[in-house]
Amino acid sequence: MKKQFKKLFLFLFSLFFVAQGYAAEVVKIGALYPMSGRGGLYGKDSEAAIKIALDEVHKKGLPKGIKLDVIIIDDQSKPDYAVSVAKRYITEDNVKFLFGVVSSSVALAVTEVSKNNKVIFVGTDHAATDLTANKFQPYYFRASNNTFQSMMAGAMYLKELKGWKKIAYIGPDYAYGRDQWMELKYALDKLGVKYEVVGEYWPKLYEPDYTSYITAIINAKPDILVAGFWGGDTVAFIKQAKAYGLFNKMKYFHPDAGGNYEVMAALGKEMPEGLIMSARHHVNWPDTSENKTFVQKFYKATGRYPSYAAEGAYAGILLIAEAIRKVGNADNTEALVKAMEGMKLRLPEDPKGFTSYIDPKTHQIVQVQAIGVTKKNNKFPPAEVMLGDFKVYDANKLWPDFKYIEYLKKAKK
Amino acid sequence: MRKSSSYLPWLSILIAFLLILFLPISEHKVHLATRILIFSLYAVAFNILFGMTGLLSLGSALFYGFGAYVTGMLTKSYGGDYFVYLLILGSISAFILAIPLGLLCLRLTDVYFTMLTFAFGQLVWGVCIKLYNFTGGDDGIQGIPRMALLETTKSYYIFVFIIVFISLIFLWRLASSPFGLVLNGIRQNRNRITFLGMNVYKHQLLAFLISAFFTGLAGGLYSGLDGSIHPNMFFWTQSGSIILMVILGGINNFFGPVVGTIIFILLEDYIGKTTEYWPFFLGTIMLIMVIIFPKGIVGILTRFLKGPQTKKELANGSHS
Amino acid sequence: MDVSFLISQFVGGLSTAMLLFLVASGLSLIFGVGKVFNFAHGSFYLLGSYLAFQFINFFNNFWIGVICAILGAGMFGVVMEFLFLRRIYGRSEEVSFQILLTYSFILIIDDMVKYIWGPEYKTIEKPASLIDQLQLGGVLIPKYSIFILILGFVIVVTFWFILNRTEMGKVIKATAIDRDMLSLLGVNVPLVMTLIFGVATAMGGLAGALAAPLRTVTPGAGIEVIIDSLIVIVLGGLGNFWGALLGAIIIGEVVAFGILWVPQWASLLNFLVMVLVLILKPEGLFPQKKSGRV
Repeated sequence: MKKQFKKLFLFLFSLFFVAQGYAAEVVKIGALYPMSGRGGLYGKDSEAAIKIALDEVHKKGLPKGIKLDVIIIDDQSKPDYAVSVAKRYITEDNVKFLFGVVSSSVALAVTEVSKNNKVIFVGTDHAATDLTANKFQPYYFRASNNTFQSMMAGAMYLKELKGWKKIAYIGPDYAYGRDQWMELKYALDKLGVKYEVVGEYWPKLYEPDYTSYITAIINAKPDILVAGFWGGDTVAFIKQAKAYGLFNKMKYFHPDAGGNYEVMAALGKEMPEGLIMSARHHVNWPDTSENKTFVQKFYKATGRYPSYAAEGAYAGILLIAEAIRKVGNADNTEALVKAMEGMKLRLPEDPKGFTSYIDPKTHQIVQVQAIGVTKKNNKFPPAEVMLGDFKVYDANKLWPDFKYIEYLKKAKK
Repeated sequence: MRKSSSYLPWLSILIAFLLILFLPISEHKVHLATRILIFSLYAVAFNILFGMTGLLSLGSALFYGFGAYVTGMLTKSYGGDYFVYLLILGSISAFILAIPLGLLCLRLTDVYFTMLTFAFGQLVWGVCIKLYNFTGGDDGIQGIPRMALLETTKSYYIFVFIIVFISLIFLWRLASSPFGLVLNGIRQNRNRITFLGMNVYKHQLLAFLISAFFTGLAGGLYSGLDGSIHPNMFFWTQSGSIILMVILGGINNFFGPVVGTIIFILLEDYIGKTTEYWPFFLGTIMLIMVIIFPKGIVGILTRFLKGPQTKKELANGSHS
Repeated sequence: MDVSFLISQFVGGLSTAMLLFLVASGLSLIFGVGKVFNFAHGSFYLLGSYLAFQFINFFNNFWIGVICAILGAGMFGVVMEFLFLRRIYGRSEEVSFQILLTYSFILIIDDMVKYIWGPEYKTIEKPASLIDQLQLGGVLIPKYSIFILILGFVIVVTFWFILNRTEMGKVIKATAIDRDMLSLLGVNVPLVMTLIFGVATAMGGLAGALAAPLRTVTPGAGIEVIIDSLIVIVLGGLGNFWGALLGAIIIGEVVAFGILWVPQWASLLNFLVMVLVLILKPEGLFPQKKSGRV
């Protein structure tokens, strides 16, 4: 009795109700974001961006009058709880897409559910390269950068920078921090850059006090300090390092999440100038009307400027909407997957002359990467310092890198 | 000797099991029920130490995670057909790991015991994240296969039910055995047990080992449920949430932890989907329960069912 | 490795330790002396950070803001003790109810903070007078760290004095030993407990306010500091302020020097220290003197 009679009954029963009400017009999307604790900001920003994206999508209209309905639930950043919610989404709410997720370990657990149930999972925030590389599965798509793209661009920047040799790394002691360093070293080697590692430091995630790390780094005298923090850890590190004058003694380089707007906003006047950083989306770059409109809409809705997470969620909704437009409905998952592969999306973070697209082989969005230097700029308060002097790196040189995927497969079995 | 009412909980568990099996409910609800079963076993095993023996461990997740990782990793490399054997192997390894840890921790009393179990738990959690080439680090391990017979959510549910039911019966018998009475005695007055010529340390150690065995079993069962394991299973918050479930249900009754688990998981599921301010509501509900139900939910239930407690029961801490 | 580097590493470890101690001292008071396990102590730290943020912006003065944060956290603590904690004293399984009750406050306070101040990070600037560094020999020390170091010592001395040299201290210590006996002696025990709780949570608020200029003010920060505080007070032996200070210094210094030799294992060092100390000296470094029946 594989398909139980009662299940069928329930199915028909619910179908009856659905048919009565809003018929096949509503396509549900089940989103998982942290809404409390440290990651809560990214969840709230994604929620606001989803609303903006839905407005735009519905204004333009979807085939057969389809309406998208996004349910958002706090995943508590716990993989086992997230799996339970994902199962409810699929078996009770009948969602057609799983969506979101900030923590990579949650994403890795949820992608299993997506694979086993053949439900498309659009990742918008987590950055572990594995998901679109060695742990690729056909129903997974990612609408934001992975860390490899950031690190490849970072290595190119370092190659152009010249005049340095000694390098040190500090990053949170878990996969995200470790992968960035491995990827940066891989990319530097690939570009033939010579360097000498004078120190690696692994504070725990959410470490409140970096004092001892800072004095040790200063003593190691690197030319460049590479950092792999995110969010509040970046803020704490910069505040404490500034008190020791670390930024006068070496270059600070933070290519994946250092330039996040929430960091600029939290540091205000205290953000030093001359730090080299990037983020997956900048509120002040590119200077296109798309980006300005997006940032302004977000500001109007929430009273604050968006962190990078917002644009990822926005891109994810557009990706789903475009796929539905191309297929004509949301019922055929395989056709939706086909439609998403190679899909072009015009996004706020695309500069003139480039359109983001989904790489058909890895399901990873391919985007340019812009690395900037901190400068005084009070156009986006409460931030008083923003990135400027951007250098832009060609998206196609950053991803896909199949040699790296092979390397990763060996490194992580 | 037992009153017929003492079989009531078993009957309700069986009925609930059958209802879930045959009612037309979604796969998610079955999944939820399986989680409740697994955490019930974990909670009851934990309460052998806490409610009976009076030892508050903040490192129970160590054995839960260890069972999950031994079972999960071996199943992943040897295939789902061996799952049942590996499940037992996982519990036995948790048991073996508990021997040296129990010997060390039980030399300590009160909060020092709690903190040493906590420290060991955190160490193993850290090591699990550090050995990423071996354990997958904090990404965990996904895609653990199940044997063909247990592939559907429902069949796995039945399997988990049988294992948990048998384990609970064993633990129940244990609780009312002479050994269980000694454990109770240790909680109430350890000196008296010493005066009676019994070795407190040895009895505590045995309770620690038994608790570890079944905690490991619960971990192994969870590794098969989602097919994924992650270091969070070792983290102190995992131990912490079990403590909450147990206290919520009532620690002085064998079935208290089971009731606490049911309430906690259902609350988490329901409030979690209703509001993003779930911590506020969960916290408020827990607060109200603490203030109103001094003996946990089960304390209130038994009072309601049995009428006012007899003097003797009150004196004995009403442990059934 | 030259000497001035070792000294600067040592001083770095010391300033880490002093912040750890500041957070832990309130917990040490309430847990060691008042025998109440306040799992939500970190939430008062969090509350202190946010209140400081609010009042510093309101008054435009760092010190007034910090004082408001101390008072605010203390008042909240008093209310929590008076309305809730007080009801569970003397229950047969008091400790487990303390855990459950204070844990529910972690959830409530965290969400309250998110609701009132929003999810985004807040920042507090250091007072202008403490922004730069002092150069002592070859060692560079931020003035703010020196301030924290001095304040930490002032607090430990003050509390040692109050607990051991005053009448009030005797009452407080007696509360820890036998509440019933004390109340027979005519002491208003509930009032003493409320006061201890208020002072302890005010110290949590103080720590939160003073740590804020060095850290990130964000929901969720409360639960993160509670673990380190627990380690510190258990290392030192419960209820012993000097012990807690020593525990904090040990943790600070082990991390400060540990990262030089075993950077990969830095995040595990504090747990390793705790395991070793508890195995070798089961009652912490400064065991509490057993006076009378406990």
